[in-house]
Amino acid sequence: MDLTTLAIAATPSFIASAVEFVEATTIVLAVGLTRGWRAPLVGTFLAGLTLAAIVAVFGVALVTIVPRNVLLGLVGTLLLLFGLRWLRKAVLRFAGIVALHDEDEIYRREVAELRSQGLSRTEWDWIGTVVAYKAVLLEGIEVAFIVIAFGAAGVAAMNAAIAGALAAGVMVVALAAALRHPLTAVPENWMKFGVGVMLSSFGVFWSAEGVGAEWPGDAAAIPLIIAVYLVVSWLAVRMLRGLLPQGARVAARNV
Amino acid sequence: MSDVLRSVWENTYGLLVDDGQLAIGAIAALAVTWLIARASSEQVRDNAGWVLLALVIVVVLANLYRAGRSALRHADR
Repeated sequence: MDLTTLAIAATPSFIASAVEFVEATTIVLAVGLTRGWRAPLVGTFLAGLTLAAIVAVFGVALVTIVPRNVLLGLVGTLLLLFGLRWLRKAVLRFAGIVALHDEDEIYRREVAELRSQGLSRTEWDWIGTVVAYKAVLLEGIEVAFIVIAFGAAGVAAMNAAIAGALAAGVMVVALAAALRHPLTAVPENWMKFGVGVMLSSFGVFWSAEGVGAEWPGDAAAIPLIIAVYLVVSWLAVRMLRGLLPQGARVAARNV
Repeated sequence: MSDVLRSVWENTYGLLVDDGQLAIGAIAALAVTWLIARASSEQVRDNAGWVLLALVIVVVLANLYRAGRSALRHADR
């Protein structure tokens, strides 16, 4: 595995997956510290099995069966849609239109809800299992999608993307286990913005190649695309801040 | 269980489509790029990637502007 493959597949996979793992860990921690650890750990394990099956079936089938051009077009388009969604939300957050992601607040809300549901000492804690399973599965689907998307270029890229995601998972879980508290110090909003830029950049690069368009310099165009997205995002945040006076900074739902 | 499945579906759909107009705009930009890459000379095709990037950026900025206007209306109420 050469360094370029690692950089292109493993790094974005690591950062994007870390964000998702932080979110899943917050919920699992909330369940574990509120209702005990057995049920959420079983839920997490089952979700992990489900995700492994998703990556094994779709990921391996994609990189081994589907022709490369079709794959680039398909994955590039999905990556573009996925990335633009992240980028849009990140810009709206930094412009003050959507509330910033607050892991501490999410943790407090989850703990309050779990406590309000009560706990039976005699029966298996299905609530704890289902809440953990759902959280890990939902965030994990995003991780699986990221791995498949960044690994779509081939077997080496897939291995690098999986390695990046696994490293992120191990790091986040180890930190959360050591701290026994949500990882609020992680600069999630900035990471989400960075991930949005990276996903959109790779998405536009691959989807263009998928529809038969080319880039001068091929992969050397990617840093330029990233730079363009960064400048445009900065301009967009300024445009929105100019559009909305200070008093209008609300967490509007229908944007 | 159906609740979990519904969440999985909503999350999977939401992964790609948070705002329908943005998704449709991006697909339209791809379609235009495909047409340009098919119908134009080799020199244009060699640079057609930048056409897609330009179109996508226009779509994103228009979508964000609309979002800003919408938030402004909500704040005025």
